[in-house]
Amino acid sequence: MAEDIILTKGLNKVYGDRLKVSVLKDINIAVRVKSFTALIGPSGSGKSTLLNCLGLIDAPTSGSIIIDKTEFSSVNVNGLASFRNLHMGFVFQFHYLLPEFTALENVLMPGWIRSGRPENDVKEYALQIMERIGILKEKEKFPAEMSGGQQQRVAIARALINKPKLIFADEPTGNLDRETGFEVLKLMKEINAENGTTLLIVTHDREIALAADHIIELVDGRICKQLDVKKTGKTAAAKEIENRSCRIQ
Amino acid sequence: MKKTNKYEFMIAWRFLVKGRFQTLLIVLGISMGVAVQLFLSALIGGLQISLIDKTVGAAPHITVMPVDTIPKKINNEQGKISDNKKVFYSERREIFSWQQYVMEIKTEPGVEIAAPVVNGPGFAEKGDTVVPVAIKGVSAEGLGIYRIKEKLLAGGVELSGENILMGKAIAERLAAATGDKIFLRNEKGEQVLAVVCGIFDLGSDAANKLVLVSLDRARSFFSFDGISAIEIRVKDVFAAENTGKVFKKKFSNVKTESWQEKNRELLSALRSQSSSSGTIQFFVLISISLAIASVLGIAAVQKSRQLGILKAMGATDRSAAGIFVIEGALLGVSGAFLGVFAGLGLSVLFMSATDASARFGLEITAANILTPAALAVIASVISASIPARRAAKLTPVEVIRNG
Repeated sequence: MAEDIILTKGLNKVYGDRLKVSVLKDINIAVRVKSFTALIGPSGSGKSTLLNCLGLIDAPTSGSIIIDKTEFSSVNVNGLASFRNLHMGFVFQFHYLLPEFTALENVLMPGWIRSGRPENDVKEYALQIMERIGILKEKEKFPAEMSGGQQQRVAIARALINKPKLIFADEPTGNLDRETGFEVLKLMKEINAENGTTLLIVTHDREIALAADHIIELVDGRICKQLDVKKTGKTAAAKEIENRSCRIQ
Repeated sequence: MKKTNKYEFMIAWRFLVKGRFQTLLIVLGISMGVAVQLFLSALIGGLQISLIDKTVGAAPHITVMPVDTIPKKINNEQGKISDNKKVFYSERREIFSWQQYVMEIKTEPGVEIAAPVVNGPGFAEKGDTVVPVAIKGVSAEGLGIYRIKEKLLAGGVELSGENILMGKAIAERLAAATGDKIFLRNEKGEQVLAVVCGIFDLGSDAANKLVLVSLDRARSFFSFDGISAIEIRVKDVFAAENTGKVFKKKFSNVKTESWQEKNRELLSALRSQSSSSGTIQFFVLISISLAIASVLGIAAVQKSRQLGILKAMGATDRSAAGIFVIEGALLGVSGAFLGVFAGLGLSVLFMSATDASARFGLEITAANILTPAALAVIASVISASIPARRAAKLTPVEVIRNG
């Protein structure tokens, strides 16, 4: 029986001081270790906020997050930063590479942050990943000199450099054309399978969602559906997603 | 303690290199400030040294002389008016046991020369021309106080026998040349023959009305049993006042006066010059700091996206702030480095552009170079701390949520 790497209890997130907007309402989810989970939902449903909370980038207003058996509500900023650095990789829609650095340097960046300085074995590993992902030729290029797909691959390589347990991706294919998007997705799935990394993806693309093991749908800050794609089968899951009614547990 | 964080340095460096134009502008700004400060302090320093040299370069730094002629009580002990035909003033114009004073003065550290002199008024006469002069009897050592050898226009410095040295002003009025014979007359009208051995120029009109004779000759000429004063030259000109105070404490029967006490006005002029130059330098420094703070402040906003990503990847608040502090330090160091060269270049240019005769040396010392350079670096780091604080406060979610 696989254990849960992420567990939330009664997670709430409220934005604003005067005008309070409740973005996440009583979220209880469990993410299995080494699984591939897709967070879907219409825009404004809170899926990105949930991902940011789970990625320890944003703090929930109330509720608890347990990641890898650690409860994070009382951990300080530096502790969170260090945990993110060591155990999490991030891929965002707008790739967010540092434009001042080459592809290779961008990939190395989390490693630099971890050890404080460049190390040769990390560089070796970075080159391996870049070769695996098919961007070795681009290693000396700056982000502005690369295509969107290449940039997103660099971002994926960067997310992998510290061999994290978790990878969070917010619309990783959202900014790419369909074909490139699927290539990137395929790559992420392969990495998930090869390295045993737990993968969480936010997407509004149903096709991409159906490639995941689990689907969590959010509507208006609440969990609307939780599907186990492997159990129900892809066709049933697809039907389930199309169904607009919510089954709130 | 974490290992030295080199990556903050790498990021800071790259940000600066990639921000070419902005970086260049600010480095130029800092270097100009440093150059101006360096040049200004060299200029003012040089000017002051030349002024002080003119004042005390060829004059005693400390003079030990008899206490002022003191008015005697007009009333005698019985309360009656004293004999009004008698002089009311005690004439203590001589120091008798001067050898002892000289010996003791010479034991004081910092004293270079201590020499007895005899001063008196007189006239120099050649042909039909009579010129009032100040006659000073000096020993061979005492000539060193006036640096006569360096100031000599013609002749030598041999003061034996009938030889005298005279200032340029007298020589011109008497149309006297070296080897000429003239007469010296004292206040009583007694007259002696003298041979002009050398003519000197001490830089000021008053000093050039001086006639130097040998000490023994002056003593007999003015019928002195002692001497009129002991003139002292010290190694550090500015220590003269303090050294003088030591003598004041030691010797109760004589009066001591340092050049600083004699030249209060000059000193206060120098001081206000220094403070005005200090004010200028202070505001130059402030404007450098403001420029750095504003440029780095803009940079912090421009780089907030990058900072957000770095923080999402695990960079600590401290590291994010560190990047800007390092940027400030790098800007300061490179600006200071360039500025020192620019300042030295400016000084060379100034030296070659000014008329050689009116020129005074610029005072280019290690302190004049290092002070503005160090201040620029410190100011840069301090100004960088404002954007650094901003960088520390930034949360990654602000950047990621807002794109």
